[in-house]
Amino acid sequence: MSDHISRGTLLACAVVLGILMLVPLSGSRYLIDLSTEIIIYMLFALSLNVIIGFSGNVSFGHAAYFSIGGYTCVILLTTYHWPVVLALPAAVIMAGLVAAFVGYFCVKLNDIYFAMLTLAFSMFVWGVAFKWRSVTGGDDGFVGVQIPAWLDSRTAFFYFALVIITVSIAVLWVICHSAFGRTLIAVRENRVRAGFVGVNTRRMRWTAFVVAGTFAGIAGALFGMYNRGMYTESAFWTESAQVLIMTLLGGMYSFFGPAIGAAVLYLLDVFTNQFTEYWPTVLGVILLAILLFLPEGIVGLAQKIRRRTSARA
Amino acid sequence: MEMLLNNPTFAFLQLMNSISLGMNLFIIAAGLSLIFGVLRVINFAHGAFYMFGAYIVYTVTKLWGGPFWLGVVAAGLGLAVMAIVIERTLLKFLYDKEHLMQLLFTFALVLILGDLAKILWGTDQYSVSYPAALSGATNLGISFFPSYLLFLSAIGPVIMILLWLAIDRTRWGRIVRAATQDREMLSALGVNVTVVYTSVFAAGAFLAGIGGALAAPRVAVVPGMDATIIVECFIIVIVGGLGSLWGTFWGALFLGFVTQFGTVLVPNWQDVLAYLLLMVVLLIRPWGLFGRPEGEH
Amino acid sequence: MKRIWQATVVAGSFALFASSPTLAQGVVKIGALYPIAGTGAVYGVPAMHGHDMAVEEINAAGGILGRKIVTVARDTKLKPAPSSAAAKELITKENVDVLVGGLSSAVGLAISEVSRLEKVVYVATIPKTIKLTTTKLHPYVFRTASNTDLEGDAMAQLVKQLGVKKLCDIQLDYAYGHDLAAGIEKGLKRHAPNVPKVIDLRSKLGATDYNAVITQILGAGCDGVTSGLWGSHFISFAQQAKPFGLFDRVKYITGGEIGSHEIAGRMKLDYPDNVWSNTYELWYNHHDPSHVAFQKALAKRSGSKETAMWPVLAYIGVKMIAAAAEKAGSLDPDKLAKALEGMTISTPVGSRTIDAKTHQANTGQFWGPMVKKPGVDYRMMDPVKYYPAEIK
Repeated sequence: MSDHISRGTLLACAVVLGILMLVPLSGSRYLIDLSTEIIIYMLFALSLNVIIGFSGNVSFGHAAYFSIGGYTCVILLTTYHWPVVLALPAAVIMAGLVAAFVGYFCVKLNDIYFAMLTLAFSMFVWGVAFKWRSVTGGDDGFVGVQIPAWLDSRTAFFYFALVIITVSIAVLWVICHSAFGRTLIAVRENRVRAGFVGVNTRRMRWTAFVVAGTFAGIAGALFGMYNRGMYTESAFWTESAQVLIMTLLGGMYSFFGPAIGAAVLYLLDVFTNQFTEYWPTVLGVILLAILLFLPEGIVGLAQKIRRRTSARA
Repeated sequence: MEMLLNNPTFAFLQLMNSISLGMNLFIIAAGLSLIFGVLRVINFAHGAFYMFGAYIVYTVTKLWGGPFWLGVVAAGLGLAVMAIVIERTLLKFLYDKEHLMQLLFTFALVLILGDLAKILWGTDQYSVSYPAALSGATNLGISFFPSYLLFLSAIGPVIMILLWLAIDRTRWGRIVRAATQDREMLSALGVNVTVVYTSVFAAGAFLAGIGGALAAPRVAVVPGMDATIIVECFIIVIVGGLGSLWGTFWGALFLGFVTQFGTVLVPNWQDVLAYLLLMVVLLIRPWGLFGRPEGEH
Repeated sequence: MKRIWQATVVAGSFALFASSPTLAQGVVKIGALYPIAGTGAVYGVPAMHGHDMAVEEINAAGGILGRKIVTVARDTKLKPAPSSAAAKELITKENVDVLVGGLSSAVGLAISEVSRLEKVVYVATIPKTIKLTTTKLHPYVFRTASNTDLEGDAMAQLVKQLGVKKLCDIQLDYAYGHDLAAGIEKGLKRHAPNVPKVIDLRSKLGATDYNAVITQILGAGCDGVTSGLWGSHFISFAQQAKPFGLFDRVKYITGGEIGSHEIAGRMKLDYPDNVWSNTYELWYNHHDPSHVAFQKALAKRSGSKETAMWPVLAYIGVKMIAAAAEKAGSLDPDKLAKALEGMTISTPVGSRTIDAKTHQANTGQFWGPMVKKPGVDYRMMDPVKYYPAEIK
């Protein structure tokens, strides 16, 4: 992966951005809602890939940070009447701090236990959200979020989210393509050798964890505001599994892969639910297909096709 | 809390509850531990296996009018067959891949099996009756206690002993133990490792099926019953130690106590308590009480 | 170039989903949100029967304002998150004119919130949490079900009548359970201020293991239990409590419509003794010709004369909407809401009026003990007493 963005990729990003900016003009409430949700999940999946694709660990509890970001934001906005300008950053910082705390312990463990601890912590967050009714609303969810007037319309919020997410993705891109990012890839490929070369692998993986958690927090906070509510499901392990599949589907070895995976999976979810209630089976089959045939995801497949066609040409 | 101290009957009842619940959990979790010990796969689908066990005993008893015990046996065998099919057609392709892949494979199974259960049995909630012989209560002196729960408390150790004998005294057991230590050496020695893997996966599923069937009279047989049990299983095997049978036994009892007494001591927060304990164990001693630390770090 | 192509493909698929189905010109679209799968299905599926019956009757008579009713149904899965998403989708994609349904109280609150934000009328046919018509009330939400204050009050009256000396309370740990507990407290102050409540127990919504709760009730030495365990929760609870002999030691007073035939018919001979409960309607309790007619139609549809109780609630919801739309002459949410305030219709279980201020209909319930009857394997309520929707 080069550290300069290729012209083709930049052009593609511009096109996607352009199309997204035009979405509200369609006038369809449904389309705007759908687009808002998709771009939020794109950021969520991209954040997870910092852990998986870049530092080579598997997190089964990434939803925890999404959930913390979301709950913190909506609680600050509604219960404490903080302005968005303060609530959103506070929520993100909270997610980051928690990720720092949990990540510190996670990186001391090897792969399987790393995954189990992330899962355990995510379920702990779920349990707290569930039981702390007085603060989070518990099983009933935190409903009735106060949104400032300037964000109260669908369109306004969509653009707001689009701006924040675009900037976030850009920052993530810079982080992942910096020296830090390239060292992370080295850690992913061969942790022992990276250690021999003098890399503090544990500190690197910890930093990656914090970065991932922070950006998941941004996605969560935006989601809480968009949804006008947060529910405990957002921290359940099945949410973590879903974003994991998004990341793998898109391709964990490329930067934008997870974003593509998020969009495709989300659209597939919506599409499938119109015809059948058996979306879990479809999801399961997709996952199986990825595992058996497409370990590098959609992006990997596209690259393989391109290489084959260019080789033929 | 005061009730526990002032009312010995109540404390006794909670004690018995913890043991019976723990033993039911042990039977289910033992399969998970076994599968991990040999195949090094954390079987997310174990909850789905448990669920199928419950549905099978429902089918045999309510739909076909058969006896409960037949249903339990059918559940175990049915799951063993299902496991063999899954392992031979799909799982075997993933043995040489990373553990993450195998983990995700079992998650894909969860999704598909969940829907399969809905297709086969519908989405309604079913109840399975206690077997007539055990549907009453037994006088234990201090108090009456449901006979079925007493039975569960007894069957747990029985299965523990049977499993222990199987692993410690039989040839199959010896090979299984060797496989947990060194797979490559085992195949180099000419053992058909494939058969070992398949049989272990089937045995684990068998246990989950039986565990589900035995749990069925007490819980509601309904879609989604796999989601809660799998988390409980994880807590048990991690606290007890992945791959250790004794660890699973004590871990299951431990969880039984934590949930039953937790309900009294920290009402409403007992679930969170369980996750908190899981986290603490992972932080301090990730290989659990009876496990062995992994080599790689 | 390949990337741009990929991007455009993705964008193109966006457009596919944006295209909503035929903009409802000649039909009235009602969005129905009931749990039709899983733990809630035992109530949600019968409810949909009642809903469909009302829709068919109205359509046969010409529809609403000359337009046929089309139902778009979504499964709430008993959880607020999917219910909220489903309600939003029904409004923004399916363009429904009105929302109806909900079962669990948390779901009701979630749907009500969507209805408030999107300004679409929502008629809550089943959720009982008092908050819907008090703290969370807004112009577009209406309730034709009873509520937790009324339910709690009736239960407190029964506590007094049955001479309970020591009370245990068991509730599900979510909006309904909390509000019902509060309703019972208020009722106890009014009717039985001297009865001590020894213990408050909570179980998770969807819980299946009640052992710890059962032993605590026994340990506390209560002779009476007030409960909010509804549907499948009660079935599991009863199954686990029976071997402990719980029902021989306590008078079990429960809300959640455990007196309905759904539960009695499902449990049959496993239904325990000493249970007093409530229901909105009893197929064996006819009191006027419209009920008889309703019963006949429902029996024909479900194939047996022992019909379920939930259909009548969904039925009333649809009828209320139809009547209000006719009065308003339009399905515009604001006009519809205005017409619903003070709206009165006659239903198979009596006349129902929606209070203009609280948006709550005067829906009472039947309460009584569930006893064995010769010749049938299910229990029936006897004697039946109607508790009107008022707190004295």
